[in-house]
Amino acid sequence: MNSGITSIKLVLLGEAAVGKSSIVLRFVSNDFTENKEPTIGAAFLTQRVNIGEQTVKFEIWDTAGQERFASLAPMYYRNAQAALVVYDITKPQSFIKARHWVKELHEQASKGIIIALVGNKVDIVSSGGERKVAREEAEKLAEEEGLLFFETSAKTGENVNEVFLGIGEKIPLGRPDEQSGLQNGGVRITDDQRIDLASTGSGAVAASGCNC
Amino acid sequence: MGVRSNSSEMYQREQSGSLNNGGSSHRNNSSTNLVTSLMKSWRISSSSSTSSPPQQSSRDSLISIDGNFEAMAKQQTSAKRSSPSPYSPMRYTSPGLSNSTSNLGSGGTSSSDAPRPSLITTTHRHSSTNHHHHHRRNENTGGKKVSKYFKDLDEDWSAVIDDYNMPIPVISNGGIASPATPKVGRSSSITSTPTSSTTAVAPENVNPTFSYPQLPQLKRSISSDLRSQLEMENERDAQELNAIMQRIAKFDAILKNKHIINQQELRQISWNGVPKSHRATVWKLLIGYLPANTKRQALLLQRKRREYRDGLQHIFSTKHSRDVPTWHQIEIDVPRTNPHIALYQFDSTQTSLQRILYLWAIRHPASGYVQGINDLVTPFYQTFLTEYLSASQMDDVENLDPKSYITDEQLKDVEADTFWCLTKLLEQITDNYIHGQPGILKQVKNLGQLVKRIDQDLYKHFQNEHVEFIQFAFRWMNCLLMREFQMGTVIRMWDTYLSETSPETTSSAAISSDLVPPHTPTEPKSATFQSPAQDFTSPTSASSSAKEEISKMRQSSLNEFHVFVCAAFLIKWSDQLMNMDFQEIITFLQNPPTKTWQETDIEMLLSEAYIWQSLYKDATSHWQ
Ligand SMILES: Nc1nc2c(ncn2[C@@H]2O[C@H](COP(=O)(O)OP(=O)(O)OP(=O)(O)O)[C@@H](O)[C@H]2O)c(=O)[nH]1
Ligand SMILES: [Mg+2]
Repeated sequence: MNSGITSIKLVLLGEAAVGKSSIVLRFVSNDFTENKEPTIGAAFLTQRVNIGEQTVKFEIWDTAGQERFASLAPMYYRNAQAALVVYDITKPQSFIKARHWVKELHEQASKGIIIALVGNKVDIVSSGGERKVAREEAEKLAEEEGLLFFETSAKTGENVNEVFLGIGEKIPLGRPDEQSGLQNGGVRITDDQRIDLASTGSGAVAASGCNC
Repeated sequence: MGVRSNSSEMYQREQSGSLNNGGSSHRNNSSTNLVTSLMKSWRISSSSSTSSPPQQSSRDSLISIDGNFEAMAKQQTSAKRSSPSPYSPMRYTSPGLSNSTSNLGSGGTSSSDAPRPSLITTTHRHSSTNHHHHHRRNENTGGKKVSKYFKDLDEDWSAVIDDYNMPIPVISNGGIASPATPKVGRSSSITSTPTSSTTAVAPENVNPTFSYPQLPQLKRSISSDLRSQLEMENERDAQELNAIMQRIAKFDAILKNKHIINQQELRQISWNGVPKSHRATVWKLLIGYLPANTKRQALLLQRKRREYRDGLQHIFSTKHSRDVPTWHQIEIDVPRTNPHIALYQFDSTQTSLQRILYLWAIRHPASGYVQGINDLVTPFYQTFLTEYLSASQMDDVENLDPKSYITDEQLKDVEADTFWCLTKLLEQITDNYIHGQPGILKQVKNLGQLVKRIDQDLYKHFQNEHVEFIQFAFRWMNCLLMREFQMGTVIRMWDTYLSETSPETTSSAAISSDLVPPHTPTEPKSATFQSPAQDFTSPTSASSSAKEEISKMRQSSLNEFHVFVCAAFLIKWSDQLMNMDFQEIITFLQNPPTKTWQETDIEMLLSEAYIWQSLYKDATSHWQ
């Protein structure tokens, strides 16, 4: 089954406190914490998922959002095959920042990088809070720039797995040789816990995120 | 006594010998032994500085462990620190100690005055493959009883300490009944926490004639059958307590009834830990906030606290337009600061931190607020809060709402002190937070160089696995390792770190961008917030290059030591890391197993760092 495993190196970018770490925590541990410490530098996490026949291992760099740390970002997106550009749908400023990141990625990252635009914290709107970034506006950006687009809630888990599944489906799988050159430390199989994104058939998402 | 210390020395030698034999790899043992031997040699020479025979024996044993003794001895003597006050954790001598205590020092028991003996045994705790069963067993039983014992005595300390407990405002509500928490027992801020180290002493080594002259309360507080059960432990504990009392007395000797406090002496003794009863005052002195001239202290505090209030008033007045992004960023981060500690969830705390951080950011536009600074503010804040708690409540500072025991005005004073001390600390590491964070990048680079020299195999392994130092060490530098340790451990670490801030800070308080010249303390217009043109501008504009030069000089000291601490911290896990791949290494270093670390563990680390710094002094010469 070795040939069935592919690694995807993925980076998260976005303004501070939009919920990057929370999205990763939801994806990797199906968990959420109300007050998460700001990320300093970057944090590394991994998660394996099954997409159809394929086992995909996400190697995730969750970067720090504050402007002062931005100069570190290239180190993490340089070899990435995929990027999540995250903003907070209640913070217009974070959407402006997201635009910048998309631009920078197109200019600086590797050519074939898959980018997903992620509007986080939809739960706030669901519970009566005010949306400040229109869905249409983000969709428009996604279309213009050729991005995947999702609105998520790390808090409830809504749509979080879909983001990663969407990325996984876009990456040319089954050609690990092509990617291995990009990997740090190469691909290794361990018996760590994995979630099965495609247990009910290709494209469907197992309800591993709670929808409370 | 000579014989006794010799025999325990042998015992320890056996232990380090078995470290070699059972070791998973030989690679690292040489360096471990080097450190161990050095620690021994320094310890022995310090504990025997008053009597010569043990020195000879320690020499012999060292030679048999490691033929390289002569070379090391030279290193040791030539390892002068660049700082004008050469002090060393090993060189600390304890002239005032009773017979029993010095016996304790050489017998391998942890004590505040000779913290180094514990180092040898703690080594084993971290080398997973080399656990000794008896060692672990003793650790468990001894550790538990001891900590219970400490709890019982907290009241006794307060009784003693209260007499001279600083010129501190009276607790407004008369004190709060503090529920006993497990934390209290850990006595996290007393310089020595009992641990496995006590097991290095065979029972025969305990001086049977020991009695408790300094601790009459001791007998009273313990029932007699418990006493017979715990006799051995008790005696050792009593010795440790004695040592702690002695230590407190030493701080008193330096601080009380002095016109001018001897800063060098204070730095020396504080390097090895500050008793919680004295910590707030000592930190303020070490960082250069409080002047050494005690006659001026009250006035200075008064002035600085007023200045802080004026500063707040200024930035929150209509004259000053709010820096919205900065305010907003701090507002987001404050609730995310130490989310696991209750203290930081209270509104009063969060309001304090918001004000302190915002004022600091506005006054330091060259760096502004950078994430991580919110971490650095907290050890000061909670330490200064303890000034308003009785000795028995101090350990509870992390659970109590400040509002419940101090007034708003007192809280502002705490904030002011925190603000100024944070300012002083950040002055020493300015380059870490300005644009591009050159200070951090340089430190990360230096760390790599250092590890390459100290532990080449690990360095190569990282290269092979494509692990880059910046991937894990950036945070170590940005938050001074605070994210890697529990708060209690961090605070102990800061005793040492603040002792490492260069003395220039203290002697040249006038040079600080924020202080008015000390010669004119009474000048009415000296509170400076009225003149924002001067005080709110970036560090570069204000008076002149001399200031910059001095601040450069100052910056080297703490930063440099910190790199050595990071190196010691990394190399501590070397054996494990060698067997890991990229992913495992990064994951491990992001979550190092330090949750259970005690003060002795951090003291071990700091001592190792000190030794590396002495041995690799030459490596730092081109670090500028
Ligand atoms: N309501 C709600 N809050 C969220 C959501 N995701 C994150 N948060 C909260 O937003 C704050 C910031 O979340 P983080 O995940 O730390 O944000 P980040 O983007 O990693 O921030 P930096 O590490 O500083 O760049 C935390 O207090 C989270 O609890 C969400 O989907 N809904
Ligand atoms: Mg984060």
